[in-house]
Amino acid sequence: MSFTVEESPTTVGDEAITNYTINFGPQHPAAHGVLRLVMELDGEIIERIDPHVGLLHRGTEKLIEYKTYLQALPYFDRLDYCSPLCMEHSYVLAVEKMLNVEVPLRAQYLRVLFAELTRISNHMLNIGSHVMDVGAMTPNLWLFEIREDCLNFFERASGARMHSAWFRPGGVHQDVPLKLLTDIGDWLDTRLPELFNDAMSLVVDNRIFKQRNVDIAIVSKEDALAWGFSGPMIRGAGIPWDIRKSQPYDVYDRMDFEIPVGTNGDCYDRMMVRVEEVRQSAKIMKQCLAEMPEGPVHTSDRKVSPPLRGEMKQSMEALIHHFKLYTEGFHVPAGETYVATESPKGEFGVYLVSDGSNKPYRCKIRPTAFSHLQAMEFMSKGHMLPDATAILGAMDIVFGECDR
Amino acid sequence: MATVLHSAPKFTPAEDVKDAIVASLGAVLLEAKIVHEELVLTVKRESIEDVIRTLRDEHEYQQLMEMAGVDYPQRLERFEVVYMLLSVTKNHRLLVKVSTDENTPVPTVTNLFPCAGWLEREVFDMYGVLFQGNTDLRRILTDYGFEGHPFRKDFPLSGYQEVRYSEEEKRVVYEPVTLAQDFRSFDFMSPWEGAEYVLPGDEKADAPKSDAPKTTEKPSDTGAGKATDAKAAEKKSHAAPAQTDKGKDASGAPDATEDRPGKAPREGDTTDTKSATEVDKDKSGS
Amino acid sequence: MGMSETVPAARPGEIRQPDQDYFQALSTEVNDKGFLVTSTEELFQWARTGSLWWMTFGLACCAVEMIHVNMPRYDMERFGAAPRASPRQSDVMIVAGTLCNKMAPALRKVYDQMSSPKYVISMGSCANGGGYYHYSYSVVRGCDRVVPVDIYIPGCPPTAEALLYGVMQLQRKIRRSGTIER
Repeated sequence: MSFTVEESPTTVGDEAITNYTINFGPQHPAAHGVLRLVMELDGEIIERIDPHVGLLHRGTEKLIEYKTYLQALPYFDRLDYCSPLCMEHSYVLAVEKMLNVEVPLRAQYLRVLFAELTRISNHMLNIGSHVMDVGAMTPNLWLFEIREDCLNFFERASGARMHSAWFRPGGVHQDVPLKLLTDIGDWLDTRLPELFNDAMSLVVDNRIFKQRNVDIAIVSKEDALAWGFSGPMIRGAGIPWDIRKSQPYDVYDRMDFEIPVGTNGDCYDRMMVRVEEVRQSAKIMKQCLAEMPEGPVHTSDRKVSPPLRGEMKQSMEALIHHFKLYTEGFHVPAGETYVATESPKGEFGVYLVSDGSNKPYRCKIRPTAFSHLQAMEFMSKGHMLPDATAILGAMDIVFGECDR
Repeated sequence: MATVLHSAPKFTPAEDVKDAIVASLGAVLLEAKIVHEELVLTVKRESIEDVIRTLRDEHEYQQLMEMAGVDYPQRLERFEVVYMLLSVTKNHRLLVKVSTDENTPVPTVTNLFPCAGWLEREVFDMYGVLFQGNTDLRRILTDYGFEGHPFRKDFPLSGYQEVRYSEEEKRVVYEPVTLAQDFRSFDFMSPWEGAEYVLPGDEKADAPKSDAPKTTEKPSDTGAGKATDAKAAEKKSHAAPAQTDKGKDASGAPDATEDRPGKAPREGDTTDTKSATEVDKDKSGS
Repeated sequence: MGMSETVPAARPGEIRQPDQDYFQALSTEVNDKGFLVTSTEELFQWARTGSLWWMTFGLACCAVEMIHVNMPRYDMERFGAAPRASPRQSDVMIVAGTLCNKMAPALRKVYDQMSSPKYVISMGSCANGGGYYHYSYSVVRGCDRVVPVDIYIPGCPPTAEALLYGVMQLQRKIRRSGTIER
């Protein structure tokens, strides 16, 4: 951190006290990435914050316009790298909506199962780093053990620890072995609640943690709506809005789960909403495991999803389909759509414009962090400098997604 | 409308809300259509602020979730700005569009939604669309001092500048882009669908047909060169080369090994060398 | 060292200390004489490899794996590599993630602030050469355009094990080529 004094008193003994401006970042351990906050401080009170974003602007939306629909999919993993599969979810649903393809039921269950697993792993990272930013080390060590387990499950399903590229338009890439599903079931019953409850017992009633978070950055319902909040941020403000519930996609309409809502709208509420969401996610996953039917895991429309490997060795047509799909890709009918899903951080939307070719004409990504970070100034005005880390931690910002 | 097969988010059908919105917007509405079960409104650019205010205050669209710019270079007003509105009480999404060009500003909606500030900054940064009334219209995502608007269709993918640390100047310097390998772009169009590129030989298809049939009357018309002309001028052709094949293998080729299982090992010239076959006892086991 | 004697493999469940004789000889020497004799060069290398404090320069996706390698399952502090938030205290910078044009001056500044001897590990294909974002208008095509790199770790992102292996390769490199001056 470097700071510059804006004005210095002209004469010795001058009583004028001036505000000074400091740079928070772009390299700061509590900034959760590459955020630069230009803060104007009056003593230790924050007067003004100007967040500078774009330090991780990679031009994803431009690159997507140059890739086929399938080649563009892995870019979504790399947007919000804490919850990769939830990013893919919006995109594949948008493509499926424009193609109007039917996804087999097992694939829908698998997607919901792994989206919720992603939600757990995202919240582990966020709760852990939020807690660490306000001074506690131990819970983070335990929560990352849960995250390791989640990553191992992703690896067993897709082959990659983080960037799975496992949700595909028309279903999922591969079926999962039965042992993986039973292992997830065991994990949900034993290891997750043990580790999570232990870690949370250190945090939720901790005096220091409450002092740092309760009544910090209170957001009213009206403000939350006006600033375009979503996800745990809007639920923390007391509005029971969850896209999984109100605009269900895949098999969320079959799931029985509850939406936690904050009462006070402060950082502590946002954090507790996430804690409860982890338990609700576990509940959804158990239902998925119990109800999941047997069957195919991607659509039988060979223009969208590839044929089986065995089929390719028998049938010339299957071979042609495979070749065409992985060179040219599929063509999406001209049109436009805006599809938003409930990612762990809030509403993650994809506005897709197609001109009928095999590449998206325009793919606008609606990041969750963009509108949340914009409210940073209004939320932290009048608070102390150390509160900025608590506010940032409770916002759950990831720059891959914010800057795209 | 075709039956809905996909499993994308389901919300209140657009038909339920369309008539009320169309009635209340009146003349400023240019077009209202339902695409993929979503209601898309196109309105006049000058009245976008009033439209958004009407939608927010009278039709309960409380949230402005997103603003997207789209570039259609072939249109007269090339940019489209799309506002995504969400009603949490009616559980409905709405897309509102206006179009503009490089020089005509769009009225800002920052007075209605505080979150519009950054969204408009982003559209300005990426497309160069101006927003009248936005007091903080700075670049947001691109580099400090960036020139151009990268998401325009005429902006090259790799841009114009790249950075490098200069040991001489002891700072990061900007230089024109040089790529080791160009971006490979395939258009995937087959010649039957109207590919735009020209392959060698394609020009013959469009060549004008001449009336006179092309004939070769003299040996020199073939255009093959002097030696060939001389050869062609010969009156009598030579006979074909003599056939040498007598219906059996040329001598000297040994029988295939599989054909002589009982045959004794080879004799004569071939000998085994010691180093190739015997195990060196001194070196082994090291 | 020259003679290759057969090393019996550890039986399942058996815990074997690496090179027990060597350590016993060492401890006898220290106990008998009370001191050890070595060259300063070796001493410096031992100190450098044993406390590679790394600068947390998390830029993008790889930063998550960088945190993972530091957490209990992989526990990089076993190798003396501990994360530091300040460039002044750190010896090695792990460039984890896509380096964008806007960030490049800040990265160089942090590198310049580090005290010598300093090393750089480039983690992931974006930092190595732009990777998936190579052709973008806003991405630096390899962080070696901005800072000198010692170790490149491939992967998108490299797994935590790969990063751990990369750090061990850096230790090897220091042992092999380290001088007092660097």
